Amino acid sequence: MADKGSASGASALSLQEGLDRIFRPKSIAVLGVTNTPETVPHDIFVNLLSSRFQGTVYPVAPRKRHIAGVRAYDYVLDIPDEVDLAVLVFPGRVCEKALEQCGEKGIKGVIIISAGFREVGEAGIAREEHVKSIVAKYGMRLIGPNCLGAINTEPDVRLNASFARAMPAAGNIAFLSQSGALCTAVLDYAQGKGIGFSKFVSLGNKADVDDVDMLRYLADDPQTSVILMYLEEIRRGRELVEVAQHITAASTNPKPILAIKGGRTAAGAAAAQSHTGSLAASDVVCDGVFEQAGIIRMMSLEEMFNTAQLLAYQPLPRTNRIAIVTNAGGPGVMATDAAIERGLELAKFSSATTAALKKALPAAANMKNPIDVIGDARDDRYVAAMEAVFNDDAVDQVLVILTPQSMTNITGIAQAVCDVHARHADKKKTLVASFMGTKDVSAGIEILQRHGVPHYILPEWAADAMEDAVQYRTWRDRKRTAVAEFTVKKDQAAAVINKAPEGYLTEVDALKVLDAYGFPLMPFELSKSADEAVAIADRIGYPVVLRIVAPKIIHKFEMKGVMLNLKSADEVRKAYTAMRDNVLKHVTAEDIHGILVRKMIPAGKEVILGVSRDHVFGHVIMFGLGGIYVEAFKDVTFRMVPISQATAGRMINNLRTSAVLRGLRGEAPSDIPAIENALQRLSLLARDFDRIAEMDINPLIVHPTGEGCHVADVRIRLENR
Amino acid sequence: MANAEVIERVKKVTARVLSLDPSTIENNSNFVFDLGAESVQSVELVAAFEEEFGIDMDQDAALAVETVTDAAEFIAKHL
Repeated sequence: MADKGSASGASALSLQEGLDRIFRPKSIAVLGVTNTPETVPHDIFVNLLSSRFQGTVYPVAPRKRHIAGVRAYDYVLDIPDEVDLAVLVFPGRVCEKALEQCGEKGIKGVIIISAGFREVGEAGIAREEHVKSIVAKYGMRLIGPNCLGAINTEPDVRLNASFARAMPAAGNIAFLSQSGALCTAVLDYAQGKGIGFSKFVSLGNKADVDDVDMLRYLADDPQTSVILMYLEEIRRGRELVEVAQHITAASTNPKPILAIKGGRTAAGAAAAQSHTGSLAASDVVCDGVFEQAGIIRMMSLEEMFNTAQLLAYQPLPRTNRIAIVTNAGGPGVMATDAAIERGLELAKFSSATTAALKKALPAAANMKNPIDVIGDARDDRYVAAMEAVFNDDAVDQVLVILTPQSMTNITGIAQAVCDVHARHADKKKTLVASFMGTKDVSAGIEILQRHGVPHYILPEWAADAMEDAVQYRTWRDRKRTAVAEFTVKKDQAAAVINKAPEGYLTEVDALKVLDAYGFPLMPFELSKSADEAVAIADRIGYPVVLRIVAPKIIHKFEMKGVMLNLKSADEVRKAYTAMRDNVLKHVTAEDIHGILVRKMIPAGKEVILGVSRDHVFGHVIMFGLGGIYVEAFKDVTFRMVPISQATAGRMINNLRTSAVLRGLRGEAPSDIPAIENALQRLSLLARDFDRIAEMDINPLIVHPTGEGCHVADVRIRLENR
Repeated sequence: MANAEVIERVKKVTARVLSLDPSTIENNSNFVFDLGAESVQSVELVAAFEEEFGIDMDQDAALAVETVTDAAEFIAKHL
């Protein structure tokens, strides 16, 4: 995929070349090694040796003759041979000296394990900036500082440049993490589950190489088929989304990305002044943008590895249709409930399948989905049931459940399950298992794991993983549309936006901006007198709405600055006078710009559209149901702008309450294409004008299908950048 | 500016704590980067300097000192 190249500087390498020096070095110097066991500077060197690194290792340890039996050098410059990778474990304060010498030596790959940088405050920030300047000067690529290190399990590399306790098994899952401590826990956890890794890296302070760089590198890594990420701080949000979209849905060799995003706080919520702004400060932006990127968001390590196993070891399911084979009724019911709740569907078996089951299973068995082979089942019944469902085209995923009973031959069944799967490998069906329990079933679980059959203690976890896999399949196969470029009057909007001061646009100006971008508006005009208001109303037609235009009045309804459904000239005249008299109790005549006369919008469903500026992802667009729904349920969804029509459609469908728009209890469905159109226009407006800080269209009134929608109220806040 | 005697005494103590030949220690030698002082040895060095010169030093400030000359100057301020 596209390679954005390395840090600027002398003889800069491409990203691929730079990261190859780190992950596939031929020679490594470890700077700052000591002879004191159980310290990072010692263990990291020993790890390199004990992991049977396939290149040469040089310890750099001033005034020491040897480390762990290997001849040591005082300085990296003393090493007579070329070095690809330098691993720095010197204390932070002397890393700069060591790094400078690495540059002079021509070393292009660097990992700084040491702490004492950005994370320790001002002095550390200055030190890290100096490190970055050295990296740029010599065209090096750097992982860290303040990290656990990097691991590559490829047999012809076998790199463990980390202070993790052990080299993980080889596998096709890559894991990248900002937190080093989490990495060691993950390695231990994965070892217990028999999960192997292709690459494993802790990025630490991300002074140079960050998650975006790593994703680009892993996109082309032949050993990696699933990417896991633990993120705390995202710096290049838009690039992260772009690269993730490419990787997860590439036409050749797409790879799923699972991510845990920690540490996102609600900071900024207090500063936000609009509905959109306050909702955008919550974690829900991350949910929406990850979905837009094709990243499957995980809430725990358990969930992440549960899903990763399925994606790494099993064929991606074609559909959500599953078959359950169990020797216990209760767990079968639990699994069925869990599957249905997660949007999976129990496959309807063909008559051939039913006939095969009847022939092989006792009469008391349940031949329908979920298949209950009864508690006294041994491997022969499991084999018969599994053969039947693997031969049924209606089944795409199979969940095998076992509870250990006195006659249950656990290992025999585990092996038989794996054998059936292998016999039907050409059918590319997904197989997962839940052998419920811990001690008695452990030998069976081991067999399953050895054969790449993901195992879950609970059937609910199996259902979670199957749901995630279906979600990924749906993403990969989604309808894709380009961002539509509507014909808009950008100059007309610019004339308003560019000349306005910071803060909220007046309602008239905000409506002019929306008009320029083709939003559906009812006719409106500003009146300066009751006579003018009546003349306007006569012209645009009754009924009309009067709305005070006075920037100092924020809450128009509370100040009686809005009057609805005025059906005659007389009503308009009276309302105008009453409104003006009432508002003059709160502001002066000079504060009143006039009273807006607008044709009344027919009744419809209220939705809210908004724009906010996210500090990571830039302009994000929001959609939710209006009124009580947005306040009470916070049922909103976000996407980074610009968006396509398909994305607009997914935003609407993503709401928990989207059924309201599709029409409940005989109600006419709302005009969803009209909402999609408005969302796309809003996305273009935000893309075109960086000065827009926040924006609410609240509500947009949506009419039944074919009758469109209308903007009822809009607020646009500008800021200088 | 520390005098030559203080510098020589710093070198002598450094050589003893780090098991080095005093003649190989330069005035601008960095305790960690050139002389290979490990973290525990750095703490030992501070203690040895205090004993040698009969002074008390702030440990954090003392550990931030990087070279022989800097150490001699730091110690001279306490004499």
